[in-house]
Amino acid sequence: MTFTLPPGLALKKVDERIMTLNVGPQHPGSGHMRIIVQIDGDYIVACDPDPGYVHRGEEKMAEYRNYITNIPHLERPVIHDSCNVLYPYVLGAEELLGIEVPERAKYVRVIASELNRCIYIMYWLAIYGIFLGHSTMFMWPAGDRELLIDLMEKMTGARVTHAHFVPGGVRNDLPPNFEDVCLRQVNYFEKRIKEYAAVFYDNPILISRTKDTGILSRQDAIRYGTTGSVLRASGVDYDLRVKEPYDVYDELDVHTNVMKEGDSYARSRVPWLDMMESCNIIRQALQKMPKSGSVRVKLKPNPKTKGLESVYKRVESGRGSLGCYIVSDAKPEPYRVKMSVPSFRNLIALPNLLRGEKLGNMPSVYWSLNYWPVEADR
Amino acid sequence: MGTATGIIRALNSGIKHIATKRFTLRYPEEKLKFVGDGYQFDPSTGVGIAGLKGRHMLFHDHCTGCQLCSIACEGVAEAIAMVKVPEEQKQNKKSIMPQIDYGKCVFCGLCVDACPFYALYMTNDYELSSFSKEGLIYTPAQLQVKPYVAQDSEIQISDRGATHG
Repeated sequence: MTFTLPPGLALKKVDERIMTLNVGPQHPGSGHMRIIVQIDGDYIVACDPDPGYVHRGEEKMAEYRNYITNIPHLERPVIHDSCNVLYPYVLGAEELLGIEVPERAKYVRVIASELNRCIYIMYWLAIYGIFLGHSTMFMWPAGDRELLIDLMEKMTGARVTHAHFVPGGVRNDLPPNFEDVCLRQVNYFEKRIKEYAAVFYDNPILISRTKDTGILSRQDAIRYGTTGSVLRASGVDYDLRVKEPYDVYDELDVHTNVMKEGDSYARSRVPWLDMMESCNIIRQALQKMPKSGSVRVKLKPNPKTKGLESVYKRVESGRGSLGCYIVSDAKPEPYRVKMSVPSFRNLIALPNLLRGEKLGNMPSVYWSLNYWPVEADR
Repeated sequence: MGTATGIIRALNSGIKHIATKRFTLRYPEEKLKFVGDGYQFDPSTGVGIAGLKGRHMLFHDHCTGCQLCSIACEGVAEAIAMVKVPEEQKQNKKSIMPQIDYGKCVFCGLCVDACPFYALYMTNDYELSSFSKEGLIYTPAQLQVKPYVAQDSEIQISDRGATHG
């Protein structure tokens, strides 16, 4: 008697050379996502990133909450960068509700957003260090990040998930004497991150592991639609703070860091240079900020928009351009909120970068894409 | 730069830190100091006063039982429930006051913004752990108590590095 198995259960013949390896979804080297890797010995033949394990339905949730109560959950995708994740939503809601934000609030937002960018990059850098087996580079950024978290805590009252930006400004004014404390800690922070050059960025062991791995050419970077530090590391001078300035970025002197190599090393170095640029922006903003004045426009308890209209706003977050599309239909709740996130766009480049690489280089190439699983799944 | 020089430089930069002071905070003995008495809402300007968003504090003589804090929490955490209180307040006809479940609260402080009578504030108390789920539910009587907090460590920066002094 012969019988045949249904097609789904049929036993596949194992190829003698190619092996399939699941990296993740519960793996320290991938985060909450799976990378399906086909390996031939030690070399990666093909790779298929499989996101979607931490989908939370943020966009659908936003349709049932009003413009203010949307704030705490929309900043959850990236809790280290919560001000920047919320920024496009708040800018869009302001345009829909027809609010003009006070000048001082715009500066406070820029300072908060730059501090958050540094906090995110420090966390990212700590993980990048431990992916490469460099435990000093795990401990130092995790410790120095505390200087900025302390500032955010003084400013907003929470270490992460600040819920600080609202349509119409920010929730509370700066505490007394904040400018001096901020300047002192940011200056010390900049001095500290400059020390990372000797221990990490000029370290020959790191250079030999990351130079010329996972090269993303300029054309490919544009073609895949990558953003942020990935795009800038491939030699494209593109930063929304310069190209499409929002709030008061047009009054500040922002310098864009560009590297031509497009390899894993360049992608890890550009965020580090961005942090120094952020320190410059914070110093400028503290100097130019009006010393007193209102920081929030008073809104009605349940603000409504005028009619059926839509708005798309985007900002430069710690990972790249982050957009938010809001459609409103004259109700207290938005009709639709769509987030266009940089993590998902950067991930598209991964299969191309890993082809032909050694398996040992996979974590460093993957993490250099500035990918944050929770943000990509929303 | 040669490989050997680079490695020696990297090691040297680490060795220099043996002489620097310890940055970490010995938590239960030392606690970080926060600005102000916690997140509050200033009636005169219509914006908040900077401070830590910790455990709430309820002023029974201001609360009118209007439920706006509970409505503000509906789309966020649903942590606030209005409960009957035995005591009678002149302004609180229904005798209902918020009861907060800290197992659900996300400490966003939108309830403080929503309160039109400035009866709800947030304090510097963040040590809320409990052995049971019921222990995390704070009744209006518990919320009335002003917490005792001894927090005095601050980040201090000197030539030898930063410490929590």
